[in-house]
Amino acid sequence: MSTPILETKAITMRFGGLTAVDNFSLKIGKTDLIGVIGPNGAGKTTIFNMITGIYEPTEGIVELNGENIVGNRPAFITQKGIARTFQNIRLFKDLSVIDNIRLAGHFRVDYGLVASIFRTKKFHAEEKRLEDEAMELLKIFGLEKKKDHLAKNLPYGEQRRLEIARALGTKPSVLLLDEPAAGMNPNETKELTKLIRWVRDKFQIAILLIEHDMKLVMEVCETIYVVDHGVQIAHGVPSEIQNNPKVIEAYLGTDAE
Amino acid sequence: MFEFFLHLSPLIGINIILAVSLNLINGICGQFSLGHAGFWAVGAYTGAAYSVYGALPLPDELNLIISCGLGFIAACVAGLIIGVPCLRLRGDYLAIATLGFGEIIRIVIMNTDAIGGPRGFSGIPKWTNLFWVSLFVVITVVIIANILRGTHGRAIISIREDEIAADSMGIYTFKYKTLAFVIGAGFAGLAGSLYAHYTQFLHPNGFSFMFSVIILLMIILGGLGSITGSIVGAIILTLMPEVLRFMGETVSQWRMVIYSVLLIALMLLRPGGIFGKHEFNPLTLFKKKGEEA
Repeated sequence: MSTPILETKAITMRFGGLTAVDNFSLKIGKTDLIGVIGPNGAGKTTIFNMITGIYEPTEGIVELNGENIVGNRPAFITQKGIARTFQNIRLFKDLSVIDNIRLAGHFRVDYGLVASIFRTKKFHAEEKRLEDEAMELLKIFGLEKKKDHLAKNLPYGEQRRLEIARALGTKPSVLLLDEPAAGMNPNETKELTKLIRWVRDKFQIAILLIEHDMKLVMEVCETIYVVDHGVQIAHGVPSEIQNNPKVIEAYLGTDAE
Repeated sequence: MFEFFLHLSPLIGINIILAVSLNLINGICGQFSLGHAGFWAVGAYTGAAYSVYGALPLPDELNLIISCGLGFIAACVAGLIIGVPCLRLRGDYLAIATLGFGEIIRIVIMNTDAIGGPRGFSGIPKWTNLFWVSLFVVITVVIIANILRGTHGRAIISIREDEIAADSMGIYTFKYKTLAFVIGAGFAGLAGSLYAHYTQFLHPNGFSFMFSVIILLMIILGGLGSITGSIVGAIILTLMPEVLRFMGETVSQWRMVIYSVLLIALMLLRPGGIFGKHEFNPLTLFKKKGEEA
């Protein structure tokens, strides 16, 4: 593995007496495709929330490019280069498709409120740049014809794509996908599999995904981490994971004694 | 009757400013505030205090602009002081907290003798007229509309749409919530100063919680999130009770009932308000027609 871009070092999350995640460590290299799997309630989303700053880990640190980012606000962590999508798509539903993407470029915009009120030259230049960047992303994702549609009016598959496009609009170095195949039929999942690989190759970023859909994870991911009850029980390439007795036990349970 | 409406028209303008500014907070940013009358009062009393106690020897017009500016700034400061603690709350909790602060402002004014206290504040010069009100309405609408059509405005709207998603897009949601709140409060203060120099008399009870509710009604009627909707809502709700007054004795006696029934009917027929979240822009209307031709 190349030098890690994102690394979690023994992060632990306790909610009162409940330990949701215990000593979880993971390393992501520059263009890695990594999956975190585990049964329901295993603590996968909690791991995501700790990385993106929604929760602050009780113990342990999260390093992005060697810098500890624990304790920062989610917005700041995004600005540093970690973008995410959500399990239950969270688009700005009543905004147009292009506005959704424009918002991803918001924190890089270089004009103030006053420039916005007086419509200065800088305002127009920056807005133009923002729109060009957004259009470019929309073209890549085949959504340019729908740029003025409201996000809520897109079909489900396109909403997923728009959400990924929007996350990429923040120009991340790591993209976190929270159950991207949730609610998709096998055909859509197949397309998504291609899309994820393609995004990684095209944008040269690391992708970390949480998924229930075994097929997708086994096909897409190069390294897989398995968690159960907040503890990492296995870690390796898909073929190793598939035959790991501990993993099978976590998913299917043991024989009744 | 004509004179009566001439008297009413500046009040319509003032209500438009109040409605548009509240819409920025409630409809566009999605932060449910019920303390708008409080900011209005801060602006009104600040502006009035300036012209009664400290007016500079300048032409009336300039003094009006200064007092409106002071009203704006004072209300911005009040908005900041109230917004920073309150905006950590959401939904109903925020509504209750802002309502409380609005009432605190009123009670403080009630107990401040220098600005009249419960006797009311009188002796304010009449500087406001239809021209100045119209000018400030245009300024308010242009400024807020321009903010909304820039990246800062989009950030404010994104908070209404989905705060968590906005956060994950690298937008400092708290900063933009506060910004919307402070700007909204500021324009309410400006409207307050205009109001003070129009009615020439202020009484704390005129700034009660009920008035916040009436402004809220205007923006809900017009459509939360639509600036043009707020303008229409403000015009309708200012005129309706007065127009009903002139429609014969029976109607006049029942006017508050009719007014309420009309509101209920409208909300049943168009729960999203007259305009919903849409804007009515006469310029684009002509453009479209031109393109078709």
